[in-house]
Amino acid sequence: MIEFKSDGPFAEKADHLFPDRVRVIGLGQTGVAVCDQLILHGHGLHDLSVFDSDQQAIESSVVPNRFLIGAEVVHGLGCSGDVELAREIVVREEERLANVASGCDFLILVLGLAGSTGVALAEHFIQLGRKTGAKVIVAGVQPFAFEGAGRREKAIEAIASLRQEADSVLVLSQDRIVEDAAAVKNVRHGFHLMHQLLAQTTQALAQIVCKRGLIQLSFADVRSLYGRYTGSEVLENCWVAHVEGDIHDDTEDLIQKLLACPMLADEAVWKLVDHAIVAVSGTYTLGLSEVQEMVGALKDRLPVNVPIATSASLDEESNEKVRMTVLLAMTTPVAVPSSDKSPEKKRSKPLQPIAETVTLPEIEARLSPPMTDKTKPPRKAKPSPDVAENQVNHAPAETGPLLVTETESETPRPSIKKGKSERFIAKQEEMQFEGPTRGRFEKTHETMYRGENLDQPTFRRRRLAIRI
Amino acid sequence: MFWGKSRNIVVALEVGSTKVAAAVGEIRPDGTLALLGIGEGPSGQVRKCEIVDFEVAQGCVRDALAEAEQKTDVVIAEVYLTITGAHIRSSNTRVTTLINNDGDEITGDHIQELHDMATAQPLPTDHAIVHHLLQHYVLDDGSTTDNPVGLASKQLTAHFHQVYGLATRLQTTIRCVKELSIDVKNYALSSYATAQAVLSRNQKQLGAIVINLGGGVSDYIAYQKGAVVHTGILGVGGDHLTNDIVSGLKIPYAKAEQLKKSEGSVILHPDQKEERIMLPGAYNFEERQIYRESLNTIMQARQAEIFEIILEDLQNASFWPDFAGTVYITGGASQVKGLIELASQIFPCPVELAHQFPFDGDQNYGRRPDLSTLLGLLHYARQAELEVPATRGFARVGQSLRRALASMRLI
Repeated sequence: MIEFKSDGPFAEKADHLFPDRVRVIGLGQTGVAVCDQLILHGHGLHDLSVFDSDQQAIESSVVPNRFLIGAEVVHGLGCSGDVELAREIVVREEERLANVASGCDFLILVLGLAGSTGVALAEHFIQLGRKTGAKVIVAGVQPFAFEGAGRREKAIEAIASLRQEADSVLVLSQDRIVEDAAAVKNVRHGFHLMHQLLAQTTQALAQIVCKRGLIQLSFADVRSLYGRYTGSEVLENCWVAHVEGDIHDDTEDLIQKLLACPMLADEAVWKLVDHAIVAVSGTYTLGLSEVQEMVGALKDRLPVNVPIATSASLDEESNEKVRMTVLLAMTTPVAVPSSDKSPEKKRSKPLQPIAETVTLPEIEARLSPPMTDKTKPPRKAKPSPDVAENQVNHAPAETGPLLVTETESETPRPSIKKGKSERFIAKQEEMQFEGPTRGRFEKTHETMYRGENLDQPTFRRRRLAIRI
Repeated sequence: MFWGKSRNIVVALEVGSTKVAAAVGEIRPDGTLALLGIGEGPSGQVRKCEIVDFEVAQGCVRDALAEAEQKTDVVIAEVYLTITGAHIRSSNTRVTTLINNDGDEITGDHIQELHDMATAQPLPTDHAIVHHLLQHYVLDDGSTTDNPVGLASKQLTAHFHQVYGLATRLQTTIRCVKELSIDVKNYALSSYATAQAVLSRNQKQLGAIVINLGGGVSDYIAYQKGAVVHTGILGVGGDHLTNDIVSGLKIPYAKAEQLKKSEGSVILHPDQKEERIMLPGAYNFEERQIYRESLNTIMQARQAEIFEIILEDLQNASFWPDFAGTVYITGGASQVKGLIELASQIFPCPVELAHQFPFDGDQNYGRRPDLSTLLGLLHYARQAELEVPATRGFARVGQSLRRALASMRLI
């Protein structure tokens, strides 16, 4: 019997590359329900934990690592939407929560944004993640509109607060599924559907940031899509669709099912999205040709032409199944009302490049013309640590010559067409200019409102032209 | 003699972002109030109504009090103080007690019990209470009353508007005065004090919102059926307008402040598009011209944003759907041109400039909107003094001695 032992000279590096780099934490009732879905659907391989102040939610969870917090204060009855109380509980429980962010590279926090315990815990875990160097991705869901203005306001405040600190914040809206047949039939089905979608989002995120895929994307890709906003200028910025089928199923059927997912039923969504990430996973018999076929079919069937970045990985427990999750993103605010009808203010971080997967025939077609002086590759920039990491990510051994990821320069509403001349640009972040000073109010605490710093001149925030 | 028949003097002190002012008033035997005089001076190192540099701010307070003493020939031993700042929060709360005596008659003890319960309500960590403002009492049949003593009911509920703030910030302001050997007799929320100066009982009953546009903050208070139903403080004020002008037109702060007052408007006129304003030169400033449109655009954007944020907060409050009153605007920053016009475009209700109640005594200050909070605090102090029973016997001797020692700055 051959036994593999990781005690060689590269053991430490190997350990760093593979085992539980991602920790998924369900916060509050929504987080608990989502993590339950992950376990029930066989995605429980990740390091999963759930935290809540509601004893009933914790005790009914199937997640092994479950923690009831604030029992001394609220006696297991939850915080009833009182965020201040939840924050107080978090402060009291600091010692118990101290080690949650240690020993992992990525924390994925899942929560309902209108809750109190979840939001307070998320704020705390983001801080912990910062201390330990773990990247924090937040996947949150906005409440239904009918839940009332109070909960909506709370969600907006939570989004602004979380975006201030977290590396990426994915905000889904429950209202997108309100007209789904299952949700119409039974309100529990509606919530269940949302929990499943969040579980699939979490699974896809974990797949993307783990470096064990066939076609490798990285955390940088997630951040470039979902880490742009710093406040609540844009609320909903993520839409998810998921399909699962047999490896031998017709690709067209799978894509049709995917596009029929409840979140994409509203045509308004397609006016908002400008980027997409596709995460494909399947058994060891999943071939590159199948992935290529699926992504190609998806591209053809999408109502809009958006750049698609693809991640593919093998899942030993998928049992002849293939799973495809599409994460759609809005990186640039557009003047189209979203589901919550909230006014959206146009302000975003400097745009960053996003990787797009291009298949072999396309690459060959591009490389076929002889290289002239005019088509020389661009001069290499001095790589920063991040850039170096991204470059490594984009040339994994498994990818080989068959599938190549390329980057494209950012455009607000992209429309990639094959005949367009494109350049291979090193993936790197744009240098941030130093923010404007607050003048007279430099020494004071900032006055924040809906994610905007009111100490900054209004005309500047609203981009009004001033003639001097 | 110290214990002889002394004048009933009340002093109101406001430590603002733009100025520090102390008003000295006298409560006459008939209960009316006469303004004796006001001492004021520019405020230093106070931003958004919070003290940034303690010593500088304390110096400004000392100067203002000294000027008030000099003008009125009164030795100031204790003051009423305004409290404001963006850290102040408020909420509506209610407490209920059961009436178990014979005949279910409500007594003064029940009222006291409700007030004690309201005082014991939990606050967020590190916060201290500023006000518990009674709104009304509700009997078991749902009817409301302002004075339930003597009525019969199985239970009694009291509705309060509670105002609280960060204890450390409140202490800093109070300590700034106390370290000058001046006692802080009581304090009041700035917007609550302002309302006492500009709103009559009838206006409070009909429904009114007072917006006090100060230098560092804009605070507001809403009344309905005679009770305070909502208060709020936005950490943005007239200083922000000036700061925006500095940033947008690249001119020094003092020039920007002067320009705002003399030429600025928050209404954009299309016919002024090409009009220019000459900024005279100084030893360190070269003469230059600026577009009036640019100045007004900067100011309009900021002022409209302030009103929009306030309106949004008011609209989210529970009283708003039933509100049918008027918005009254006052404060130093309300002197900007076009303000009422702009506010009328934003608020879906009548908007007026607030007018202070006339005072007896010194008439020099009655029409200054920047003093409405200070003068309102004098009204508040008068009311508080009249409610407290007069000191007698040894307590009165002690009070006189304290005043005498304070005059020598020994305590």
